[in-house]
Amino acid sequence: MTTIVWIHADNLSPENPVLRAAPGAPAIFVWDDELLLDWRISLKRIVFIYECLLELPVTIRRGDVARELVEFAHAHYANRILTAASPRPRHREICRRVAGLMPKGSRLEVLDEEPFVAYEGKIDLKRFSRYWNTVKRHVLT
Amino acid sequence: MSGDMRRDFRDRDDLITYLREEFPEAVAIDPHVAETRGGRQAAEERLTRIKPGRAYRITRNHIDGEVTRLSPFIRYGVLSLAEVRDFARSQADHVQEIEKFLNELGWRDYFQRVYREMGDGIWTDIEPYKTGFDAHQYEDTLPADIRHGATGVQFVDDFIQELYTTGYLHNHARMWLAAYVVHWRRVKWQAGARWFLEHLLDGDPASNNLSWQWVASTFSHKPYYYNIENVQKYTDKYAGPAEDYGHEDFVGSYDVIAKRLFPNADFRDESSGPGQKASGRHPKRRQHAKRR
Repeated sequence: MTTIVWIHADNLSPENPVLRAAPGAPAIFVWDDELLLDWRISLKRIVFIYECLLELPVTIRRGDVARELVEFAHAHYANRILTAASPRPRHREICRRVAGLMPKGSRLEVLDEEPFVAYEGKIDLKRFSRYWNTVKRHVLT
Repeated sequence: MSGDMRRDFRDRDDLITYLREEFPEAVAIDPHVAETRGGRQAAEERLTRIKPGRAYRITRNHIDGEVTRLSPFIRYGVLSLAEVRDFARSQADHVQEIEKFLNELGWRDYFQRVYREMGDGIWTDIEPYKTGFDAHQYEDTLPADIRHGATGVQFVDDFIQELYTTGYLHNHARMWLAAYVVHWRRVKWQAGARWFLEHLLDGDPASNNLSWQWVASTFSHKPYYYNIENVQKYTDKYAGPAEDYGHEDFVGSYDVIAKRLFPNADFRDESSGPGQKASGRHPKRRQHAKRR
């Protein structure tokens, strides 16, 4: 199975688990045109992100992220796209679109990074204090 | 398919010139470039300088305190929370020495978990305002004088200028600015949150919006507010006649300010008693606001 790596703005580390899982695989980052329009981020944020990208072995593009990913995979005869997890709804939406656009027999895999808290149980998120009371002993041991 | 963007640059100026051409819409929003550089190398240099123990615990509330300024790197995953946690632990003989530091990292983890659960719901009021006002009584858009950093309140304008030029604000300054926008100017927190996201290098919808909601009281029991003494104490600036600094509206005890800002709020009845201290006011104060 031939793999490409999708680097997004939640995993701009050369040490990230996705790059480690597929060393040497072609990797791509795509500036999301729709998101740029929606978020109106200023130049200093663009410069910071770009400097992070320059330390990664990635091809940098701009446009419709899902389409760019599928085309990049096609150009590299890849049938597997590997990426890192993200809490963002936009990430889930792109993953759904990619899955719909990929040819049959291809797949998208999402890897989790090492968690801050190794706790699998239910956490009440209504207030930080409740979260902290639950996870504190796991963080401090 | 779009073409590849450039990766080869002579120096930082060459990169910036290229990005100005490629992202004119970002230049139109604000053309400043921060001194802070991105990348793993810069992140690791900064990580090795953190003081997560006593120095952080005692001074972090002050605007010049021992905060780490790792947030932009954590925001983009250049450093993971686990890596920062492990490095901090390696600097301490006992984990209790860095408990406060780990607690603050926990806020980031907490906000990300809420984001995963709520998605774009973080853009709407999680709870009603507890200020005595309804959401429709707040302005939808950021007033021009705030956007231009020309409010006439010296400390507010200074922080806005810092936000624009550096892409960074100490958390205490973020809270003072946010409370000014929402409570002193009665503007919806969403307008302020969008504005911060334009500029903060660490701008993350989860941490940003949920902190704004916390200040506004739509994600907390009470609004966050403060007085000028609090600003003076944690900046060592802005002392002297209030009219010289345009901060007359921030002078007074917490009770006086609360009556002025929230004349119809219920929370004042339950909290206006003895034992309150002259500091930024909130029941379970988060991060740098509770700098006593």
